[in-house]
Amino acid sequence: MKIFWSFARQAFHNAAVYRFEFWMRFVSIFLTMYSIHWVWRTLYTQRPGAFGVSLEQMVTYGLLGMALEAFLDVGPEWYMAMQVRSGAIDTDLMKPLDFHVYMLAMSTGEMLFNLGVLSVPALVMGHYLFNLQLPPNVSTGLLFGISLVFGYLVLFHLGFLLGSLVLVTLDIRSISWAYYSLVSFFAGQMVPLWLFPQFLRALAEVLPFKSVYYIPMSIYIGTLAGESALQAIGFQVIWAVLLVLVSRWAWRQVHARLIVQGG
Amino acid sequence: MEALRLYLKLIRISMQARMQYRADFITGMIGVIVLNVVNLGLIGILVSRFTHLNGWTIWEMVFLYCLWILGHGIYSLFFWHIRTLEDYLVQGTFDQFLLRPVSPFILFLGREVQYLGVADLFFGVSGASLAYTALGLRWDWVKWMFFGLAIVSGTLIETTLALMIACIAFWTGRSRRVNSLVMQLNVMVQHYPVDIFGYTFRVIVTGLIPVAFMNYYPALMLLDKLDRNSEWWWLGYMSPAVALLLVGVAAGVWRLALSRYASSGG
Repeated sequence: MKIFWSFARQAFHNAAVYRFEFWMRFVSIFLTMYSIHWVWRTLYTQRPGAFGVSLEQMVTYGLLGMALEAFLDVGPEWYMAMQVRSGAIDTDLMKPLDFHVYMLAMSTGEMLFNLGVLSVPALVMGHYLFNLQLPPNVSTGLLFGISLVFGYLVLFHLGFLLGSLVLVTLDIRSISWAYYSLVSFFAGQMVPLWLFPQFLRALAEVLPFKSVYYIPMSIYIGTLAGESALQAIGFQVIWAVLLVLVSRWAWRQVHARLIVQGG
Repeated sequence: MEALRLYLKLIRISMQARMQYRADFITGMIGVIVLNVVNLGLIGILVSRFTHLNGWTIWEMVFLYCLWILGHGIYSLFFWHIRTLEDYLVQGTFDQFLLRPVSPFILFLGREVQYLGVADLFFGVSGASLAYTALGLRWDWVKWMFFGLAIVSGTLIETTLALMIACIAFWTGRSRRVNSLVMQLNVMVQHYPVDIFGYTFRVIVTGLIPVAFMNYYPALMLLDKLDRNSEWWWLGYMSPAVALLLVGVAAGVWRLALSRYASSGG
């Protein structure tokens, strides 16, 4: 645990240097929340209570999707790509720490920091400006929290796998556009899965991505409750474990054929 | 004319430099197209589930999106690197543009081409054609002319805004983050019709950072959605005027910025 905190402290120091950067990110979160709020408001004026979900629930879902992104997505793939490109990855590999654990610790530190300085303030702002609802009761809030942890683990490992792939192909920028848009689509970050057409829904239901946004956020607004909420968390756990195993296996493969440029 | 010839020559050189990285080119194209398909897919799901968004049907939304991306495509092809101006200033490499007996602006513009703009244009043309057919539009030559003008105006609006923001770096040394912020406004305008948003936002994207003239206002005219009873209906025709005005202002800002340039001595 200590190692997570030391990385979080490091992230804090980095961010304190780029204070302007921070404010810009915050304004940008504000703008996305603002637009999603108006989109749902307009759609629900046309058709109140569509698909058995109230406007308050739907707006809450949309705003959460924007606020959670700020801390869930720490993007280990960018760090990995940068280290390979500059050749500095060999110093990471020399550390007396398993590389996967090292990346997880570093990302988690950054995640905790972003949670504190970006997501929580964004949620408070969403609550006062755009009517973001609180979870209906404590147990729902608790389930939401648990589900978020697994959502984070799934997203981190997807990123780690992409990063490992990048070590082989040496290019991330263009792959990342396709990757991010597909993840956010199938994760239901903006549009929940219950609005998807049949075949896309069927696909989204089995892919791991819905663990990241759709499951935690549906638990939060109460469309996934009781038995089905627990089942959904079970789905997340299975994918998280699976992705940890695959990540470790993939990293061993990549490590064996890693080419360090200069350095 | 001399300047144009020089610019074209520089562009040809940059293009040759770019084409050395074939694999990057292909994954980049695929990336841009997937990104846009997914974006439009999300909008499509929403609008089709609710039949329309504040009176905009799904194909009208596709047209709105594609009109934006056509103007943006030309911008990103030739002018995308304007945002990298701060790197030249910080590293002191901007001096190279001032040492030659031609316009530093032309030298800077000819420095790079961003091939990904081709993917944007490809996507924009396909999307706009599909929307044109699906909406059963029959434009006369006036509308076709205006369509072309709207695209060029869109390019000019985005380019001049990017240039003015980049010029901030002459004073502060940094500007890229401000650019991302304006890009955020841009993305909102690209994805949704401006009329769903609140009054303040509409005023900002019309009068202050006029990105709504890239697609929203000309689309109103082109799709016959102008409300003649509203006192603001004429905004539908204003994109070229807004673009010209911005070109004038941006040229002034550029000149002012150059006059206070002091090399960081790289």
